[in-house]
Amino acid sequence: MKPFSPNLFDFEREDTFGERLFFRIFEGVVLYFILTFAWDWGFYILKIGDVVLPLGIANHLDISFLFAHKLSLLNAAAITGLMAAGFFRLWRFGYLAALLLLHFQYAARYSLGEISHGSNVMGMALLALALGMIFFAERKHARRFTFGFLYFFLGLGYVLAAASKLIGTGPGWVDGRHLWMWIAERTVDTFSLSGAIAHNWLQLLALDSLPVATMILTFGLLTEFFAFLMWFRRTRPWIMTLLIMMHLGVLLTMKINFPANTVLLILLAYPWGLWLDRGLASLDASFHTRRTRLSLRQS
Amino acid sequence: MPPLYQKSLRILAGVFVVYALLVATHLGEFWPFSIYPMFSRGGHPWVRSVVREAPGEPSDALWQPRRSPDALPGRPYPLAPADINQNDIANFVSKSDSWDAGRVNALRKVFGEILHDRSLLIVRAEGRLDAQTVTVAYTPFILLTPDTTLFNPSFPFPTRER
Repeated sequence: MKPFSPNLFDFEREDTFGERLFFRIFEGVVLYFILTFAWDWGFYILKIGDVVLPLGIANHLDISFLFAHKLSLLNAAAITGLMAAGFFRLWRFGYLAALLLLHFQYAARYSLGEISHGSNVMGMALLALALGMIFFAERKHARRFTFGFLYFFLGLGYVLAAASKLIGTGPGWVDGRHLWMWIAERTVDTFSLSGAIAHNWLQLLALDSLPVATMILTFGLLTEFFAFLMWFRRTRPWIMTLLIMMHLGVLLTMKINFPANTVLLILLAYPWGLWLDRGLASLDASFHTRRTRLSLRQS
Repeated sequence: MPPLYQKSLRILAGVFVVYALLVATHLGEFWPFSIYPMFSRGGHPWVRSVVREAPGEPSDALWQPRRSPDALPGRPYPLAPADINQNDIANFVSKSDSWDAGRVNALRKVFGEILHDRSLLIVRAEGRLDAQTVTVAYTPFILLTPDTTLFNPSFPFPTRER
């Protein structure tokens, strides 16, 4: 196994068209989610009138200034402009400035007490893009740094989540009755959202069988704990596939969806650049063969 | 080590230090940094909320606790079609230790124009693990009418003015 940092950044590997194309697709996905968050939060902030729980910068300044005069929409517009400046390479600090303004948007949106984690990973992706653009003049190096940075902090985040569970509850966290509690909690939430109560097959299975519920939690805890394996190229696709499965499990058992998180995992888990190169090469080859056949027929 | 790797690791270490300092001084959360503590306390009781369209005039019977959602007064008021976030209402109910005029107005603002022509009852749902079963108790908590806001008289929440 290679030493740690080449595993993360791999600066020596040859740059390919597929990798460049994939990076722009990745950047486009980050842009889409960041703008969705900025505008969704911007409109929701218009309904907010008080700070129940200050988060982040709201601990140091009164974030309620964003509640009035549609300032949250102005902030969303500024974030849009800065993201465009970053995406089209007009200003290399564009992404970093967008991240800072989005922090204010987050602090205002989640001032009613919810601590949402659905956007954290996308925020980290934006930070990775920002730092890559600021510190690396050569595009190839910026791309490699962006992904390496994300693998490190994404893996660290999951390991911290596992550590929080072991510190907060201990190894007994995997007791299936805890999953019953969370299913009951989420059932109340679903009832409040839709006015009806309905359990799916996995929830029924977990509620009927304590060993099944315990196995589900054990899988989740172990997968999070071993998420640091994404720091190494060889184990990366395997552990990230398990993490994607874990998120599907969370969606089925607790009806908590982290679409931005799951999309990012799917993008980072597999060698899409290489696959794009192969796909384009085979397309090119079949196009070349067809053209040769056609020219032979015509001659 | 080649300079590119040194530079990258230095940036990584710098961000790691900033990450650690910010989460350590902000109860584990400073977006986009977090220690991801969700679901870390297994088996602990929880408090959520359910919203109902309130029936007619309030009476003493309205505030009685129930053991089943089917026994709750009024009709369900689903939050999803109204584009109201369930977590926000649940957090108003579970994390507000003081219900002053500002807090009450903030809750009413989340519902906005919905309260112009109807009354909504916010019910506190408390779940706990009793040996081998999960029990959920539903207690009507706040009644929001077009003109006024009433609290369950049996809840000892302070309602001091700002």
